[in-house]
Amino acid sequence: MKKVHIIGLGIIAVAIGIIISTASDYSTYENFSSAKLKTGKDFQIVGTLDTTHALEYDAVKDPNYFSFMLIDKKGESCKVVFHGSKPQDFERSESIVLTGRMKGDYFSASHILMKCPSKYKNDELNVEGYQEVEAVPEES
Amino acid sequence: MVFENELSWPGIAGQLFVITAFISSLVSAVAYFISAQSKDEIIQQSWNKIARMLFTVQAIAIVGIIYTLYFIISEHRFEYHYAWSHSSMQLPMEYLLACFWEGQEGSFLLWMFWNMVLGAVLIFRAGKKWEAPVLFVFMIVQALIASMLLGIHFWDYKVGSTPFSLLREVMIEAPIFQRVDYLSFIKNGNGLNPLLQNYWMVIHPPVLFLGFASTLVPFAYAMAALWKKDFTGWIDSVLPWTLFSGALFGTGIMMGGAWAYESLTFGGFWAWDPVENASLVPWLILVGGIHTMLAFKKTGHSLRSTFLFFLLTFILVLYSTFLTRSGILGDTSVHAFTDLGMSGHLIFYLIALTVPAMILLILNWKKIQAPEKEEAMASREFWIFVGAGILFISAFQITLYTSIPVYKGLIHSLTGVEIAPPTEPIQTYNSYQLPVAVLILLLSSLALYLKFRKSEMKQFYRRMIVISIITILATAIIAWKGDLTYPTYLALLFASLFSIIANMYYMFTILKGKHRLYGPALAHLGFGIFMLGVLISSANKHTISLNYRGVDYGERMNNLELHTNQFMPKNSRERMGNYFATYIGDSTSEPNHYYKVLFERVNIWDSSVVHEKFILYPNAQINPKMGLISNPATRHYWTRDVYTHVTTVPEKNNEATAQEEKFKEHKIAKGDTIFTSNSYVILEAVEQVTKTDIVKLVKGDLCIGAKLHVYPMTGKDYFAEPLYLIQGGAAIPVNDKINELGLIFRLTKILPEENKVQIDIAEVKPEQDYIVMKAIVFPYINLVWLGIIMCVAGFFVSLFRVFQKKKIAVSS
Repeated sequence: MKKVHIIGLGIIAVAIGIIISTASDYSTYENFSSAKLKTGKDFQIVGTLDTTHALEYDAVKDPNYFSFMLIDKKGESCKVVFHGSKPQDFERSESIVLTGRMKGDYFSASHILMKCPSKYKNDELNVEGYQEVEAVPEES
Repeated sequence: MVFENELSWPGIAGQLFVITAFISSLVSAVAYFISAQSKDEIIQQSWNKIARMLFTVQAIAIVGIIYTLYFIISEHRFEYHYAWSHSSMQLPMEYLLACFWEGQEGSFLLWMFWNMVLGAVLIFRAGKKWEAPVLFVFMIVQALIASMLLGIHFWDYKVGSTPFSLLREVMIEAPIFQRVDYLSFIKNGNGLNPLLQNYWMVIHPPVLFLGFASTLVPFAYAMAALWKKDFTGWIDSVLPWTLFSGALFGTGIMMGGAWAYESLTFGGFWAWDPVENASLVPWLILVGGIHTMLAFKKTGHSLRSTFLFFLLTFILVLYSTFLTRSGILGDTSVHAFTDLGMSGHLIFYLIALTVPAMILLILNWKKIQAPEKEEAMASREFWIFVGAGILFISAFQITLYTSIPVYKGLIHSLTGVEIAPPTEPIQTYNSYQLPVAVLILLLSSLALYLKFRKSEMKQFYRRMIVISIITILATAIIAWKGDLTYPTYLALLFASLFSIIANMYYMFTILKGKHRLYGPALAHLGFGIFMLGVLISSANKHTISLNYRGVDYGERMNNLELHTNQFMPKNSRERMGNYFATYIGDSTSEPNHYYKVLFERVNIWDSSVVHEKFILYPNAQINPKMGLISNPATRHYWTRDVYTHVTTVPEKNNEATAQEEKFKEHKIAKGDTIFTSNSYVILEAVEQVTKTDIVKLVKGDLCIGAKLHVYPMTGKDYFAEPLYLIQGGAAIPVNDKINELGLIFRLTKILPEENKVQIDIAEVKPEQDYIVMKAIVFPYINLVWLGIIMCVAGFFVSLFRVFQKKKIAVSS
């Protein structure tokens, strides 16, 4: 056997090792009820902001405490606590991806990714001085 | 229907140019194909002539597209969707280029432009033998990219997306487009994403796309070599191109890192974001290919892997294009392009080039010559090969993890588990890539001490021992000083110092000042310095904006990393590490809002001794569409950076909150006192005001001010001066306000008979002016930039050396 072949086999072996170890590095998308069953592990949860509850953030009191209610994809609403400042425009987010874990009755988020509809795709037509009211007949 | 003021010729011209570029590239490729297949030199030459003519047509068409698009943007022709969605009237001139390539179409155009430039150089330099087959591959790729801009419907399938579509064609549903005069309502565009209004956005994309485009050269040569079955003749021609590509591509990637560090708020220069990874992977493979190619040149080994690496480089560039432009990254990356519904097209593009490349390589694998005798362990080529293998593994791991969104659907249907990217990407990637870095650092320095084919081992060991001893000493000192204890950190520290010392030793004692040969050692030394900078700046990075306000003394007290945003009331001196920071005010220069923060560096033992004072202006745009967009401000030192950015600002209340009935009337004389719920106010003087910042006074105006001294129950005192302005016969009271106390003062009447004035005071909710900010110290981050610059310089020194050798070869 040539050395090159040994190296080749070595590379393949390491590659397989990486593929196998990915199994432990992946996180999974969960919802609140499934995350509650697996405490002590980090997950990602996709959901939308529960607008029936107020956001809790008071920079004067504690600039590193932000809490809100999130509705997961199964429709369950749960309190989320994020130790950081409130992302600006949070109220307008369309969907929210959280990373973190359950801590008792709340979800402790270490990372928040918001998707705002207008953020990168700004195809909203803002027309100055134009209203949908038929004020001017088209023929004139 | 004819629409008023709509300018239609640029759209028609642009679309014609796109179609011309597409067809001429395709036909040029056909002509080159016929030429390459022909054995007769005269036929070859005549077909080459045709192909070159078509190339010229293509080049003119590309310049035409660029000019037309530039015209549309710079003339603010908002009837065109591209101009409307990427630019606005307020956009400064220097960002016109930035909005040119903000969209997918514009960036494809940039890529085509570079391909055209590189192709033109190749026509002149490739030579008789290689011109036709290499340019054939080039023009096929060019036609494929041009097809991305077509935007033509073939039956139900739309091919590409044109930058020349009209706004009314894109937004068919909007009723406004039923009107002939619709354009008179569209006065402004959507504007450039504020995050991208940055000079980096002007320089980073052209360099990166030149890097992307240049990887096509080794790919085209490798394909041509496999096709023409000349497996070795292409190496000499492609060598300078690969060095050029490695330098430019690397610069482009790290410019992205510098941009992220300087003006985004990641808090670092590399976050293992899918978009970053997608461009890093092809570069790693390219670097592997450059090394195996050098091994081949000197010894005849590693030719097959050279083919594999160069083919893979471009394929991975295509794959990265697919990842970032198809919208597949969706949830996982914040800065991929918007989905234009082109993923099918992109997959076709990827397969159309990957499959033929792989088939050609497999068919010829056995025919590509490899020496009978295998590499000796004590030879440079052997360790180069090992190093290339490690780079391959590194690229494999990054690709596998970055591609999770691509195959998560498959995993879901197989196992029912919805997999997601790692929750802590930086730690996860580092756990694989740090050991890779250690190995590469060690190999890249000791391989230089080995000779090609066979080395004198005794001398090698002696040198290695000397270098290792120096390195161990240096490692011990830095680890102790820098408080580095983790085994991985220590290994990386040792490896980067080993690389720095070994490469410097090599340059100064073995090459003994032969500057022209410095290339490889310089590039490796740069990598060593870079990794040392990465290690120290990230391992010893520390947040100094630690907040203790409002923190209960329970569990959270111990988690320092949870308090990294500091609350800074205006004019309050807050401790931040060795500094005291004071938020002293804000100012606006549209569209940016600057927060002025005074930093005072104090003596560690005696905080009353101030060593240094400076002001940082972290700024933010409060954008109606995107909310707060924060831009960091950084204080650079030789040995560290203090990096700050604003994370929250109070939402400013409107003046209108004070309602009429809330004002309480007070008729007072000079020296009298008024009591409010939180303070007492003394009228110090009533006098005529001739100059004031609040209102503009013209001749004939009479302006009276009441000087008020306000003493709150606690804290420092304030001054207020409401004005009574008689302008053009009308009396206008101009209010003054103390936000911190929530007091609004109005000088309502002047009562000369009683020698009194009427001061009305309204009390509103006190509004505190504050910012919440983050400040991080990055020690020795300059090593990162220095390392990159040296590494790129190393590529250029090698490139220079190749040209010099060629000159000598030609002249002799």
